[in-house]
Amino acid sequence: MIGNDPDRFGLLTRLIHWITALLVIGMLGFGTYIARMQVDMSNFHLFGWHKTIGIGLLALIVLRILWHRLSPPPQPMATVPGWQRRFAKGAHMALYGLLLAVPLTGWIASAATGIDVVIFGTVTLPRIAPVSQAWETGFFAAHGALTKLLAAVVLLHIAGALHRSDGTLRRMVSGKTGPNEKRPLD
Amino acid sequence: MHYVWAGALALIFSVSAALAEPVKYVLDAANSVVSYEVGFGQDKITGRMPIKAADVTLDFQRNANSNVAVVLNAAGASSSFPFAEQALKGPKVLATGQFPELVFRSSAFRIGTTTAEVDGQVTIRGVTRPIRLSAQVFRQQGTDPGDLSKMSVHISGAVNRSDFGATGWSDMVSDRVVVQIVARLNRAG
Repeated sequence: MIGNDPDRFGLLTRLIHWITALLVIGMLGFGTYIARMQVDMSNFHLFGWHKTIGIGLLALIVLRILWHRLSPPPQPMATVPGWQRRFAKGAHMALYGLLLAVPLTGWIASAATGIDVVIFGTVTLPRIAPVSQAWETGFFAAHGALTKLLAAVVLLHIAGALHRSDGTLRRMVSGKTGPNEKRPLD
Repeated sequence: MHYVWAGALALIFSVSAALAEPVKYVLDAANSVVSYEVGFGQDKITGRMPIKAADVTLDFQRNANSNVAVVLNAAGASSSFPFAEQALKGPKVLATGQFPELVFRSSAFRIGTTTAEVDGQVTIRGVTRPIRLSAQVFRQQGTDPGDLSKMSVHISGAVNRSDFGATGWSDMVSDRVVVQIVARLNRAG
């Protein structure tokens, strides 16, 4: 089943979730590596890959938001206490916001350097910021800080998913809940 | 950067004292090259910059009468890879939108046997600093010894870009910029 229903995450939602998860975790390491590497001709192209994957992540989160408008995801499991639901909702909102903000701040900062933002080695993205040292410095600082915040929220999200044994994680892996697990809240 | 001519003087002095008057030379821009090189990690970024105008007058008897003024078209600079070219022209390096030209004016020539040193002032990003260039002079192919109507001058020098406020990407690109010039001069008229 491609779409979501009140009980299950559909295939598309799960695919987007796990692809996003892999790319985000990979990019946290990759971004840290390129920020610290000694740049030369042999590794300069890594910046291009960083931008390509970052813009890919931005596209994925926008797709996910639009998809969930068309096909709303199921509610949290009935076993989840109210405070945990509110906490999880806050974490999810933070994840969505950060998954938008991190690539956007990187794009703005890169555009502000005056150098084209090129993805896939050939596609030049629109310059969405003026060429400005102040913008470059400010948005690269924001990009770095928001990335650290994203890493913290991702860890919180993983910890929450592993901590709960009510089928929440299984629902995102296979799309189904176990036979003895309670249905999601209406 | 064609102060270079000073270099020419060195060789020329040794071969001929025939020209007692200051002589104007015309730069053969199509066959002259201004190139630069900067460090980029363990690699080098290289590129070229077109010559916009050159005013060369050489006095082979009295060095003090010689002078060279050269204007380079910074906005037309090229680089060994596209991102470097954008960075070079951008506001953090040459800022060619605001300062489209680089200018050199000679102030003194010291002539050796076949080499010369040329002192002058170079203006980059609107900032003027002194510079010293080394030059070697060669006779062009097909000319006779002592023929001063055509000369090739090889000039080299270096600047620290931070002296001119061109500090962009200092974490990746070296401060020292090496400049190499091959200038071909034809006697005017």
